[in-house]
Amino acid sequence: MISFESISLDIDDAQIFSGLNLYVNENEKFLIQGRSGMGKTSLLRLILGFEQPKSGHITINGLPLDKTNIYQIRKQIFYLSQDIDLKDEIIIRLLTEILEYNFPSEPPLKKINNHLTFLELPQGILQKRTRDISGGERQRIGLLIGLLLDRPIWLLDEPTSSLDDAMKEKISAHVLSLNKTIVIISHDPVWKNNSKVTIKRWS
Amino acid sequence: MGALDLSIFSLGSLFIFLLPILYISRYLKLGINKSIIFSMGRMCLQLSFVGLYLEFLFKLDSPWLNGIYLLMMISIACYSILKSSRLKIRLFFKPLFLAILIPFTIILLFFNGMVVRIDNLFEAKYLIPIGGMLLGNCLRTIIIGLTNFYSGLKKNEKEYLYSLSLFNNRIQALKPWFRESIVAAITPTLASMATIGLVSLPGMMTGQILGGSIPIVAIKYQIAIMICIFYTEYFSVILSILFSLKKGFNSFDVLNTDIFQKDYS
Repeated sequence: MISFESISLDIDDAQIFSGLNLYVNENEKFLIQGRSGMGKTSLLRLILGFEQPKSGHITINGLPLDKTNIYQIRKQIFYLSQDIDLKDEIIIRLLTEILEYNFPSEPPLKKINNHLTFLELPQGILQKRTRDISGGERQRIGLLIGLLLDRPIWLLDEPTSSLDDAMKEKISAHVLSLNKTIVIISHDPVWKNNSKVTIKRWS
Repeated sequence: MGALDLSIFSLGSLFIFLLPILYISRYLKLGINKSIIFSMGRMCLQLSFVGLYLEFLFKLDSPWLNGIYLLMMISIACYSILKSSRLKIRLFFKPLFLAILIPFTIILLFFNGMVVRIDNLFEAKYLIPIGGMLLGNCLRTIIIGLTNFYSGLKKNEKEYLYSLSLFNNRIQALKPWFRESIVAAITPTLASMATIGLVSLPGMMTGQILGGSIPIVAIKYQIAIMICIFYTEYFSVILSILFSLKKGFNSFDVLNTDIFQKDYS
């Protein structure tokens, strides 16, 4: 599903990694661990075409990652960035905009409430702005967007860092049960204590 | 009819007041005497040059020459906009030139043909001063627009990229920055339109009244020109952002890092 062939990446003339090979199969749950500053986030940014490798080939779902395929590729990917960089907007308006844009014929607005209950978020949060909620709430709003978009590939960068233990358990179990290809970067032990996960230790 | 001519001597008499100014600035150690002399000197020199040139242009009144003069004015405007916005001239000159040229030409010719109804659309007496007013005002608007757009994006690049991942469409992801920069660029003009006449009489009107027009005619021209300025600004700022996108972003829709002039960090 995702394949890296001898990928080298430089950012601002500094080498982040070189000769990286990596394969993630369809529906695999792939956990990447390693010290911070090693380029784990850059790896996700490469998959999204936000960074360009200096050399090597990246293929996503059979498509070489290049400018002609980038639209097709991004369409399949849900990305949850570490800081959940949502633009400043009232949450329900943002959700509506995202859904109406991605599902022009029938935006699944009704599903919002079911997911809110699962994520243990109050209804009232929809009227708040993305900047005014806590880190844990932002992470869950981010996941809510992922569940609504329902894209086949998920890239999650520290998705549970601001959640309490019970929530970490609940969300990791649910995410790992999804019928999707998922790459997770996380220091949280909940992710690796699950038999479904392939662990890639980065050194 | 027409304003009284000023003799060189009487014009020069105005410089008497410069003496106390230079003295006071020196006493207060403002350190701006050099710039005062430099700026005033440049102003006098540039305007004298334009005066001579315009006299020549008006006498000849060749549509071709007038057109070329306007194109030159647009080029200078582009250059100075990009310099102030700290964007690379090599990359953005062409798109910016088109972004100004299109609305500018349409509005200017409409003004001459439909509003003033002169026979020769390229008549120097109208084309050049009106064109100059439109351009001069666009300058500020586009500088605000482009600067806001690209510096805002650079500052919030992560937010833009995240939107790009959610919408998978560059234009949709860029909308907040579009809105913000267009509004910021247009607001000063809206404010000045809303207060015009209450505080100051605009320069064009003053000039026309001195030139012998009756106030009601001068007012009509002023209204027409304000409307034209607003239209030209509005369209040229939107187009300048739109046309710049091709150079501003790479083929993966990521903001290019090398679009800013060197001293920008």
